[in-house]
Amino acid sequence: MKILVPVKRVVDYNVKIRLKADGSGVDTANVKMSMNPFDEIAIEEALRLRESGAAKEVIAVSIGPQKAQETLRTALAMGADRAILVKTDIAVEPLTVAKILKHVAEQEKPDIIILGKQAIDDDAAQTGQMLAGLLGWPQGTFASKVVPADGALRITREIDGGLQTLTLKLPAVLTTDLRLNEPRYASLPNIMKAKSKPLAEIDPASLGIDLEPRLKVVKTSEPGARKAGVKVTSVAELVSKLHDAGVI
Amino acid sequence: MTLAADVSQAGPGPISGLAAEVAIEAEKLLGRAIAASRAALAPDGRVDAAALDREQHRAHGLAWLATYAESVKQLAAYAERQEAQGRFGEIDALLVQVGLAEYCAQIAGGIPMSQLEFIRLPELGISAEDAAAFSEAAPVRKLIGAGNTPQIRARLIALINDAQGTATYGDSGLDEMLESMRGEMHRFSQAEVVPHAQEWHLTNSYIPLEIIAKMSELGVFGLTMPEEFGGLGLGKEAMCLVSEELSRGYIGVGSLGTRSEIAAELILGAGTDEQKQKYLPRLASGEILPTAVFTEPNTGSDLASLKTRAVRDGDVYRITGQKTWITHPVRADLMTVLARTDPNETGYKGLSMFLAEKPRGTDANPFPAEGMSGGEIEVLGYRGMKEYEISFDGLAVPAANLLGGEEGQGFKQLMQTFEAARIQTAARAIGVAQSAMDLALRYANERAQFGKPIVNFPRVADKIVMMAVETLIARQLTYFAAREKDLGRRCDLEAGMAKLLAARVAWAAADNALQIHGGNGFALEYPISRVLCDARILSIFEGAAEIQAQVIARRLLETRN
Repeated sequence: MKILVPVKRVVDYNVKIRLKADGSGVDTANVKMSMNPFDEIAIEEALRLRESGAAKEVIAVSIGPQKAQETLRTALAMGADRAILVKTDIAVEPLTVAKILKHVAEQEKPDIIILGKQAIDDDAAQTGQMLAGLLGWPQGTFASKVVPADGALRITREIDGGLQTLTLKLPAVLTTDLRLNEPRYASLPNIMKAKSKPLAEIDPASLGIDLEPRLKVVKTSEPGARKAGVKVTSVAELVSKLHDAGVI
Repeated sequence: MTLAADVSQAGPGPISGLAAEVAIEAEKLLGRAIAASRAALAPDGRVDAAALDREQHRAHGLAWLATYAESVKQLAAYAERQEAQGRFGEIDALLVQVGLAEYCAQIAGGIPMSQLEFIRLPELGISAEDAAAFSEAAPVRKLIGAGNTPQIRARLIALINDAQGTATYGDSGLDEMLESMRGEMHRFSQAEVVPHAQEWHLTNSYIPLEIIAKMSELGVFGLTMPEEFGGLGLGKEAMCLVSEELSRGYIGVGSLGTRSEIAAELILGAGTDEQKQKYLPRLASGEILPTAVFTEPNTGSDLASLKTRAVRDGDVYRITGQKTWITHPVRADLMTVLARTDPNETGYKGLSMFLAEKPRGTDANPFPAEGMSGGEIEVLGYRGMKEYEISFDGLAVPAANLLGGEEGQGFKQLMQTFEAARIQTAARAIGVAQSAMDLALRYANERAQFGKPIVNFPRVADKIVMMAVETLIARQLTYFAAREKDLGRRCDLEAGMAKLLAARVAWAAADNALQIHGGNGFALEYPISRVLCDARILSIFEGAAEIQAQVIARRLLETRN
């Protein structure tokens, strides 16, 4: 069994986001970039499936600029077997990503594709669903538990009312919730080995997909500053303040 | 025009060319100081021991001047390398610029050997004319005049604030693979060590064995050991960055992580094939932990005069004597013990090194081995491994465990590890300096007074900027020594300079980071109070600052170009 894991290079979660001076977007110059944390969880889950004997090969794929290679090296250092970079400098949108991944899936023929449920940069949370739709595969989104079960996967998802358990026939698309697992550290020997693992490059032009964005970013701005609050000493005071504010 | 462009226009101009020119000036000045000091302290080409002792201030001052000159040279080399690779960003350039300006100004005006002792050029036999030739040289004057201004420091603190979350402030200059190792070590240290370090310190607890097990899984212990013995065969730069990031979490973790390498180096360099086969793979995997048993109550810096005896008794040596300042002996499995095998040789020639195995003990029964007992020395900082004094009363060590199988070689064998040990200690100091800066930066951003975060006050920001500058300098000096070591060159001078400077840098960073915390920093609750205690050991152990300067001075006076 083969598992494909798409990974995205994003601004590191520790970094305080800065806007470009002209408001056209987020400033990523000289900013620390890392693998999207949900994608780390996806890699970890794929590795665990391989280590349990349920899968044979884990392939990481990233769509992005040359520097996205570093993110793929991280995936390789964690333990992925090989990597594919679909190289583009265009900021691709979820549907474009899904279309590209469909091509990669058709070439690689994985049994499972595991994606992060969303990327922490634009928080779109769309790619997995779109990809499943384009491929016509079953999807298990926001998975918090994954158990392989004879040509199928039994997954648990967190929904508003509690936990939902689904059985998906393979091939299938999964997206990971935060609680699925705790990703491992890449060990120092594995970081060394990652250097010599295969990393292929694909030119998206060869796929015949129009990468140009359909959406236009009009403006990016800082969230409004929070105003100082007031401490109340009793419930009565709270109620009276809420009255004064006209909210009750 | 961007602010960056504004600043560099107001500043001294493009930095890398200037750096190279300044490095030449510093070297010229150092050459004069060495020549003058040789005339005074080594008149016949041999160092006059009595004169050296009498004129320690001058000799050690010479060591400090040389350390500064090497720092300037390494900053220039760093700037040039980074520029050639297109990796010399604004923050890198400004850190280098401020570093050069400040160190040149200190060379000209007085270098602090400690907070109380300064070395000034006339004391080094530099004439007023020669001193002026340095400080009035065009590149030096330019840098001192415009390289480190309030505007430039203001720009730097803004860049540092923007860079929060990156592993280093200023590019480390290491390659991509090493930097991904740093990234992973940083993540591990921040997640698994930082949240607990304060508690371990305050309760004087051991670093949990689970942490050690995780470090072993990550491959920390065998970093620089050859692959045939289960190591990764990496260079000393790798050892540096791992020591840095682990010490940045907690100095004890950084020490545990890479002290094994020093024990391994001792065995690798001097051991028999059997000794290598027996111990190196288990040190590389972290299965056995070593401890260094050298110091005695009356022999610290003057190690060659130590008294502990090892007497051959059939198939074993019996070791008898007092040792002290033994770090982490209770949980260690293997002691490297330096003892006297030849009582007629009172100097270093009578010493031999033993690989003495011991069972792990507990707090209740620290030394379950026969012929060995000891008591804990309670300490200010550098906890997590516990310090002990140990008495040996006929501890039996198999004769096969005499290192290298030859008596009388102990001191020489140990000396061969000094370079690596000093490089590793310099790296630990850089990690501690970095942790102090991390705490200072966070506190200065969170603490508001007079209606704004205190980082907006220049006296607070300047301290943090100088921490970043000096950390970068110490790091580049240390990496230089590490690369020299990997090239197989003698680098006791460079390693000593790196250790000397990095220890001072760490203490200054910790002391000033605590100052930024104000009263809160004085409270045990705040981690900076621990980092201050941890930083204090760095200029004492692994060659006290004064001994380090003495050794460097001796080398400078001896060396003939």
